[in-house]
Amino acid sequence: MFALGALVLSVTMGAISYFTTRHILVSGQENAEIHSASKNATFVQQEIRDGYHTVTVLTAADYGNTRSSSLLYRRGNWYERQFSVPPSALPKSLRTMVHDGTPASLTYTRNGKPVIAVGIPIPAVHADYYEVFALTALSKTLGVLALALVGAGVATTVLGAALGRWASGRSLRPLTGVSRAAVAIASGELDTRLIAGRGDPDLAALTSSFNEMVDQLQERIEHETRFASDVSHELRSPLTTLAASLAVLEAHSADLTDASRRALELLSGDLRRFQRLVADLLEISRSDAGTADVSFEEVDPAELVRQAVAAAQRSLALETPAPRVEVDPALGGTRLLVDKRRFERVIANLLENAAHYGGGATVVRVGPAPHTNGAGHHVRVSVDDAGPGLPATERGRVFERFYRGHAANMRGAGTGTGLGLALVAEHVRLHGGKVWAEEADGGGARFTIELPGEQAEVDEEHADEVRAT
Amino acid sequence: MPSRILVVEDDERIRSSMRLALEGEGYEVDEAASGEEGLERFGAHPSDVALIDLMLPGMDGFECCRSLRHQSAVPIIIVTARSDTHDVVAGLEAGADDYVTKPFVTKELGARIRALLRRVRPAEDEPTVLSFGDLELVPEEGVLRRRDGTEVHCTKTEFRLLCELASSQNKVLSREQLLDRVWGYDYFGDGRLVDVHIRRLRTKVEPDPALPRHILTVRGMGYKLVP
Repeated sequence: MFALGALVLSVTMGAISYFTTRHILVSGQENAEIHSASKNATFVQQEIRDGYHTVTVLTAADYGNTRSSSLLYRRGNWYERQFSVPPSALPKSLRTMVHDGTPASLTYTRNGKPVIAVGIPIPAVHADYYEVFALTALSKTLGVLALALVGAGVATTVLGAALGRWASGRSLRPLTGVSRAAVAIASGELDTRLIAGRGDPDLAALTSSFNEMVDQLQERIEHETRFASDVSHELRSPLTTLAASLAVLEAHSADLTDASRRALELLSGDLRRFQRLVADLLEISRSDAGTADVSFEEVDPAELVRQAVAAAQRSLALETPAPRVEVDPALGGTRLLVDKRRFERVIANLLENAAHYGGGATVVRVGPAPHTNGAGHHVRVSVDDAGPGLPATERGRVFERFYRGHAANMRGAGTGTGLGLALVAEHVRLHGGKVWAEEADGGGARFTIELPGEQAEVDEEHADEVRAT
Repeated sequence: MPSRILVVEDDERIRSSMRLALEGEGYEVDEAASGEEGLERFGAHPSDVALIDLMLPGMDGFECCRSLRHQSAVPIIIVTARSDTHDVVAGLEAGADDYVTKPFVTKELGARIRALLRRVRPAEDEPTVLSFGDLELVPEEGVLRRRDGTEVHCTKTEFRLLCELASSQNKVLSREQLLDRVWGYDYFGDGRLVDVHIRRLRTKVEPDPALPRHILTVRGMGYKLVP
């Protein structure tokens, strides 16, 4: 851009100076030639009056002059001296003007060389005097000038380009910073701010208004996430009281009537759901606020999944039978870095989802992701169910919060928190992995999570080697 | 003689419901509405387990925990608002043995209390005295002492943890195994419980806690004790 500017500028300046100089030089030369031609014309008039022969007169007029050729038109005849310029070489317009009694001059190109033709009528002797001057010297000068200007133009362009690059790099650096900060903020790093640079007051204004905008944005976002968090927080004290009191009633349920007992069951069922909803809301609002503390541990994925399935089956008290856990031997010694509590929730939520909407999980598979070879770097865990499967249009949406798809009227629909799969997605994201839903082999739904794995750091043979920390 | 539990909690309704629930489980309950009152109550009549809410007006739960730990080896359970914050680690560092997160289920709290009240019962074939370095552990008596006879004070949980490690000398015990044996947690117990307690133990049994010679960390595996 800067180079283009420099080019345009130097071409324009070059052209202007060339044409101005040329005009000055040419008109100067013209004046000189007109002056010399009129002197010659006066001389010719004098000589002709004195009765000299026309050709002799021309020779005398041209004496000592090699730059020009003289022609004389008198009584229908052309007289010339050097035969270098035939009368046909004179432009017709010039001849007409001179013939009509007006002295005139014209610059034009003849045989590729610039010439000036000056015509002066000499009415006293009924003759028109013409003199044609070669402008060789002038055109040489102009050639040199043009060359110099082109050279200067090229140099200006190159320099301009270099200067432009340097200057734009320098002056755009703050803008690069702004764009980088905007990208960081969009990706959730709300603490990102621009550092006010020295110097340019325009940039200082931009920096401060940018930072102000981000401050307000951050405040609003934090306010909203804090609200969700505060609400859940405030709900916990009454929930604790409720849970403890209900536990007392449950311990004495044998003393209650059937109706009271049924009412108590409904109460405690929904209280548990309420507790989980509050816990899930808190967890998800923490994740939104970016304040989730994750503590990673290195674990064996197969063992982790087996334990998580067993723990979920226990804690959820699901009516459906526990799924098979299949471990692909190709997994090798790949280890996972996970937050175990969160991973357990992921598996529990997937099993619960399968129990509610898919007639229970049938098989849980652990294996390497296909695109990583051998003891690869990614581990896949998939949960299949025996249900009707998910319509393709809902596969992405089931991970949305409180999403109720076609399964909204199914038996298990009223018992979940509506945040189960959203939390799965949130937890998997915290682990740098991904989750998706697809169709299982038998037509049911399959939820697959893929987590980045670690190469085993300690192999079995040297497991007893001790490194004190 | 039922076990006695001190509940330090400023919310009166929670306190009352916890009293009902814990009494339903067969415990004797002592209540305190503030940290200061809790310490006073404990001084007047020591309990077998203390339950301390971390968010208390006046003296906060951490301070209460530290003061209580200073005067007694009683098992302490802290009640936290969040399980994934530094609160848990800070509470454990202040001397707590375990934690529950609000809103907790009474059953869960009961399980935590029972685990802490369990006594160390060495297996039949185990020696009555376990020793390493210049230290001796007597599980029967719950005593840890140096060979010269001076007693080293540690909490019940620290003692149980040390017994587990010392009875499997030179063998690596994973965090999961230790959580199960000492705290009664399954595979998904909080590994930070083990880590903080190991740190605390090292300050008591290691000549230089920064360069441990007996209680070693085996990276990615767990801990082991070498004599």
